[in-house]
Amino acid sequence: MKRRRGLSPEPGCPRAWAAENRARAERWRAVWSAGHGETAAQEVRQQRAGFEQLLRRMRGLPAALPTLPLELTVLCNSLLFTVGASESAIKGEAEGIRQGLLRVLEACGACGQDLSTEELWQKVLQEVTVKELQAPLQHLRALQAAWWLAASRLGSVAGLFRLLSNTEDPGRAHCSMDENKLLSLLKAWQAPTEKASLPLVQSTRHLKEILCTTVAFLQGLQELEAGNFTTALSLLQEAAGGFCSKRVLAQIYTCLGCCAQRMGKPQTALQHLKRALQVDFQCLPALSHAAEVYHELGETDVELQALALLYEALEKNPPAAASCSPYFLIRIELLVHTPVLASLLCHRHPSEVKYLLAQRCLQEGRVADAVEHYLDFLALLQEGLQQQVPLNSSSALPRIPVVFLETASALEQAGRHEDAITVCEEVISRTTRLILRVFRVEEPECPSPGAGLTGGLLSQKKESLCCLAWRAAGYLHQGWAWAKMGKSKEAITQFSRCLGDLCRVQLCGFGVEPAEDPLPEVEVLQKIRFLSLTGRGMQFLELGRHKEALLDFQHGLQISPGDPTAASYLVQTLWKLNRKQEAAACWQKLSHSPPGEDGQQEGQRRPFPLYLVSCLKQTMFPHSESLARSIQDYLETTSQDPLS
Amino acid sequence: MAQVGHRVDYLAGFCCPVGGLVAGKPRVLCHENEIYLSNGSEFVYVYDQEGKVLKAVYRCPDRVWHVELLPQPRQLYILCAQSGIYCVSLDQQSRLMEQTDGDGQESNCPSGVFPVDSDACIFPDSSLCMFTLLNNFVITLSQAHGKWWMKLHELPRPEQESPPYRQVSEVGFCPGPQPGEEEDGPPSRFLPVLCCASSPGTMGSGEGLWCSGGFVLEEPLFSLLFGIDAAMLESPMILCGFPDGQLCSVPLKALSSSPPVDGCHDVSNQDPPVKILHHLEEPIVFIGALRTERRAAEDAEDEQLFGDSGCDCVVAVGHYGKMVAVKADQREEATVPELREYYLRGPILCAACSSGSRMYYSTHSDISAVDLDWVGDSSDPEDTESCTGVLPPVLSPASLSICSVVALSLSSRASEGESELLALSAKGRLMTCDLCSPEDADVELTPAEAGRRIKELLSGIGNTSERVSFLKKAVDQKNRALASLNQVMNVSAALLSSQEGQKPIACTVTANWSCLLLQDTVTISCLLENCSEYSLEEGWTLCVQLLASPCALEEESSVDSATTFTFPIDHLLPGNKRELTLPLGSAADTKLDLPLTISCALYYSLRDILGSGSDSSEALDDLLPDDSPILSPDREGICLPLSECTIDMLQCLRFESSPPGLDASPPVAAPPAPPDPVETFLKVSQEQTEPKGVKAGELPHATGEGNLPPSAASIRVSSELLKNTLKTSGSDVPLSCATLRWLLAENAGAEALSSGNVASVRGAAPDGGEVQLLVREVAMNDLSPAGPIQAVEIVMESPSLADMCRMHHAVIRRIQALVLEQAAQGSGPPDLRMQYLRQIQANHEMLLKEAQTLRDRLPLGEEGATTAEKLLHIYRQLRNPSLVLL
Repeated sequence: MKRRRGLSPEPGCPRAWAAENRARAERWRAVWSAGHGETAAQEVRQQRAGFEQLLRRMRGLPAALPTLPLELTVLCNSLLFTVGASESAIKGEAEGIRQGLLRVLEACGACGQDLSTEELWQKVLQEVTVKELQAPLQHLRALQAAWWLAASRLGSVAGLFRLLSNTEDPGRAHCSMDENKLLSLLKAWQAPTEKASLPLVQSTRHLKEILCTTVAFLQGLQELEAGNFTTALSLLQEAAGGFCSKRVLAQIYTCLGCCAQRMGKPQTALQHLKRALQVDFQCLPALSHAAEVYHELGETDVELQALALLYEALEKNPPAAASCSPYFLIRIELLVHTPVLASLLCHRHPSEVKYLLAQRCLQEGRVADAVEHYLDFLALLQEGLQQQVPLNSSSALPRIPVVFLETASALEQAGRHEDAITVCEEVISRTTRLILRVFRVEEPECPSPGAGLTGGLLSQKKESLCCLAWRAAGYLHQGWAWAKMGKSKEAITQFSRCLGDLCRVQLCGFGVEPAEDPLPEVEVLQKIRFLSLTGRGMQFLELGRHKEALLDFQHGLQISPGDPTAASYLVQTLWKLNRKQEAAACWQKLSHSPPGEDGQQEGQRRPFPLYLVSCLKQTMFPHSESLARSIQDYLETTSQDPLS
Repeated sequence: MAQVGHRVDYLAGFCCPVGGLVAGKPRVLCHENEIYLSNGSEFVYVYDQEGKVLKAVYRCPDRVWHVELLPQPRQLYILCAQSGIYCVSLDQQSRLMEQTDGDGQESNCPSGVFPVDSDACIFPDSSLCMFTLLNNFVITLSQAHGKWWMKLHELPRPEQESPPYRQVSEVGFCPGPQPGEEEDGPPSRFLPVLCCASSPGTMGSGEGLWCSGGFVLEEPLFSLLFGIDAAMLESPMILCGFPDGQLCSVPLKALSSSPPVDGCHDVSNQDPPVKILHHLEEPIVFIGALRTERRAAEDAEDEQLFGDSGCDCVVAVGHYGKMVAVKADQREEATVPELREYYLRGPILCAACSSGSRMYYSTHSDISAVDLDWVGDSSDPEDTESCTGVLPPVLSPASLSICSVVALSLSSRASEGESELLALSAKGRLMTCDLCSPEDADVELTPAEAGRRIKELLSGIGNTSERVSFLKKAVDQKNRALASLNQVMNVSAALLSSQEGQKPIACTVTANWSCLLLQDTVTISCLLENCSEYSLEEGWTLCVQLLASPCALEEESSVDSATTFTFPIDHLLPGNKRELTLPLGSAADTKLDLPLTISCALYYSLRDILGSGSDSSEALDDLLPDDSPILSPDREGICLPLSECTIDMLQCLRFESSPPGLDASPPVAAPPAPPDPVETFLKVSQEQTEPKGVKAGELPHATGEGNLPPSAASIRVSSELLKNTLKTSGSDVPLSCATLRWLLAENAGAEALSSGNVASVRGAAPDGGEVQLLVREVAMNDLSPAGPIQAVEIVMESPSLADMCRMHHAVIRRIQALVLEQAAQGSGPPDLRMQYLRQIQANHEMLLKEAQTLRDRLPLGEEGATTAEKLLHIYRQLRNPSLVLL
């Protein structure tokens, strides 16, 4: 349907509209320069509604060329406030822009209802040659670019600006398909100056700067994700040199730091991260990345310091949920929100940081600190709902029973055996009811209607297996704790319980044959079993029950053939049983086995769970020197004997 | 299972919309002595149970979807549709409440209506669907961007002022294909259900746990359901029941995967901690928990230590009656969760759990109680083999006999130590139902208790007998309705199956003159004759519709001038007749628009079958499908058309009580009071001008003041045609007389004609005008080459042009029917002189043309008068054709 073209509404209307546009823009400038905060945010919302209303009024009349520049200006202002009023990032297509373009075409007597927005832009830029419309269309184009950048549609943006350069100067900028030219394309674009009669609330020149930085940032992130670190580094550096807020700058530096870290340049990475923190101390992800880099460098002291600092900062002011002041209406924060950035800038919860501190201390053997941090962490768990404890896969936290076991381990190493026993008791009591009585490889019963309840029988079984391992580990720790307190009987009871638990698995199939690639849970179970057997054997030795000790050590060696600790104990037991010949044979076998093989095996295997490391240490055979000497003596005498 | 003993008290009535309250949004909460009630409107009521008065009414900005109460400090949290959560402090308002009088109707105590203004809105979010409270935390569930968002907010502690409502954490998740296609649109009529399950550890921590509808779940069920991590964290769990039937759990302590990165609420790449427990495949309306196993004696101390014991069974109820219960099966060493689905009779409107093992649920017809306490009879080993499980294999609902309750809540008033059920019915009535717990029966009774118990039993018996009589009444009514429906169907079948031939139930209509209230009026009598084998019972109505024909004189009186008279038929046995009379209007007052079309129909209102009690259309919808053909347009009854006939001038003519004069005496004065000349003039002029659109005042004076020259019209019909039709060839009656008899055959007053040979009558029209009808035989000479054609000429004369026209119309209608009948028999016309016929036709066409042109340009003033005169003349000429009907 064609409307009467060129018929402008009565002159009063456009003048009133223009006046309203001007008045609103001026008012915004006043508010903006006065300061930011809640009043400004409120003002943004009001302005948004006001401009939208004005736009609706203008669109009530058929599109006419004389009023179109004003209409497009109002549209731009309305869109700017729409962005400014939204707390989070821009989402979706800007329907307003599309409408605006359709109005332009309508005024020129063309139509493009069924075209895509890209095609629409092409048509508008090629066919509309009215001089007055050029500047407003340029403003609108910048906004369109912002929208597409927010959707990470870099290709569309490139197409948009390629169109521009073509129309402006077809000879100069030849059509290049390279998307990386986008940045240069954008820089070459001459932002139009706004007319005083048609004021914009955010100038296009300013917008252009933001777009340039955003493009560099986004492309840098893309390259970073793709693994092209060198390109990423240069692009991010370009972005860091561009116009942006401190907050974004800190983010860019953080990304630079991560990039350098991945390139294997920890020192450079540290420098970038340091700059990020200098720019904005609230950029806590930089701190956590710095801790990682220090960890890589092996500088534990600094790493722990960084983590402690991070924890302190998080405790003091929890990360506010995006309470950005509406300094500019369109901000880079609103345009760049890719999953890569989200994962790079992932905030840690205080609980996570606390755990990391504790874990690192325990790993490094700083037992006293570890105990303190673990207890702090457990106290955090007891706090209210304010203390969130992330439990998903991206969290730094392991499963909660593991944390308890690690705590017990730390307590035990610090000599607080009774506390360790208590902590273990908690794990044992919690897990007890969740353990299936027997583990069969094939479950003859069909799954109960509760299959959906725990996500299938298999996962339920696996979970049950985990619980079994935790409980067994709990008993193991208790056994060691009792042993350390010199109460061998209690220790033996706990070790026996542990072994009893583990028997359930062995009886019914799992681990009967050491499979080529056993489940990690099964492997952990075997380790616990070995440690438990060794521990019990040691206690039997202590009590002088050598025969029982011998059996345990033999079993232990079956599980872990060639283990030097078990072998040493076996030798010692045999020795004590006065089976010296056997002892000597064993010892010879042990000492002849290549020492490197053992370590190699360890490296190939999965690492020990942290909570088992302390037990492993405790099983170290203490008397190897004296035993070796006595066996040596024995061997000498026996070798002499047949001669004599 | 036996009926649960109970006593129902009505507390108050609240306004409810037409059609009753719809389940889902209404809510009843009870705390101490106060009942907080919302009925889905924008009002929230506070009712004092002790004083039985309405204490306050809060008016919210929009419809209320959900209400929660925080007892310390006393605050109401109200979720309004599409606007967000409002917080109302009850303590602040309490001093204002003193003035209110407790009538139960908010209209009577306007002083007690407190508006909740937008300042009270603490979470302005239009996408909010549901929320719940847990101590000083608010957990909200909203729907945006195709996901469900659960957010955890901390309420400000009383001592601290800011920041007011800190969002601690949030998580977005989409269980299954939900939530719906309509992005961010209004949620469906089912809202999600939220419920908080706490672990036993949190209960022991001493802090008074408050969470309405929440419960403490015992170990090991808690660990089994929610995993060991949640159990060791002692994290409260939120159970969500979604409209698509999914039952999910979210650990509140591990709600968030990570805090939002500046402006980037992107958690899509991280797995939310949400666990789907079950899929009920129908909208979940309730989640609750029960204590199914009574504690052993040694645990009694525990119970005292920890207060109320936790629950050991979680239930979720779907709208269409599917229910799932989960309980830990601890009979063997290893504990496994046992999950059982039950099918209750739906649709379930709402439900509530007692502190024991009973769950109450409400359907449209009743509240039922189901007991999940079930101890497998271990004495019989075979039995345990057959039905292994800790949950009962089937549920046997016990009726409470309270129907259409849309909101249920269980209150236990500490003072009395007994629990009672609070219910809000669809009609907006709030009631309590005392529940006699089964434990009471086992206990040894003291005399006092026994007395009380007897009293209760007696009241129970009273209740039961009341219910029995009510049920009996209902059954009787249903039987009656069925019998009525049966006979209605019989009658309908009889009438509809005999559409071609004679209908078994007939209605004949005749017009009569009678004297009513000293006035002579035309009346219509309808004779309803029941020749069918079924009697017309009470409930049938005869509808007589009078419709002025569209061909009536006035053009503007179109179809919509129909009047319907209805006569209830009490009881018409087979073979019986009933005559009904209705006046058409007297000569003096109303102008009768002849001819009238009269249609008769039988109507049966289905609404009456259902009795006066059920005024909802739903019941009717159940009875008959929408597309049932015999339903009347308003879908409220059955309408069977009987007959349709036309009453015209000839039927309404009135003759002298004495036989009409043999010969036409000169017109002196009309037999009824001679009309005033001026009046006659006015009337005539009006009637004349109306069809032509000329105003009355512009009538030419030529019509005369005194005696009007009678208007006349004539019709000629060939004798052959008439003879054939009237079959008069055998009789000696002259054809003209026979014709006149035939014309007036339907006139009840014209019996006298049959006696003598009368060829002319004079009668009075219903409006009093005089009419003369003359029949004579003529010979038409120049029509046929074969010789003269014998014809009968019918001449109509009346001083009133209108009466003459009506008469003309009536005669023509009869002759039309006659000609059509003859044409059907296929008798050919005699030879005609075509030239002559053409001449006549040409003449008439010219006249018509002239009339047309005159009508087209109607001049005004003096000239107009003459034009009208001319027109009148032309019409007169047209009405006297020299044509003959052969």
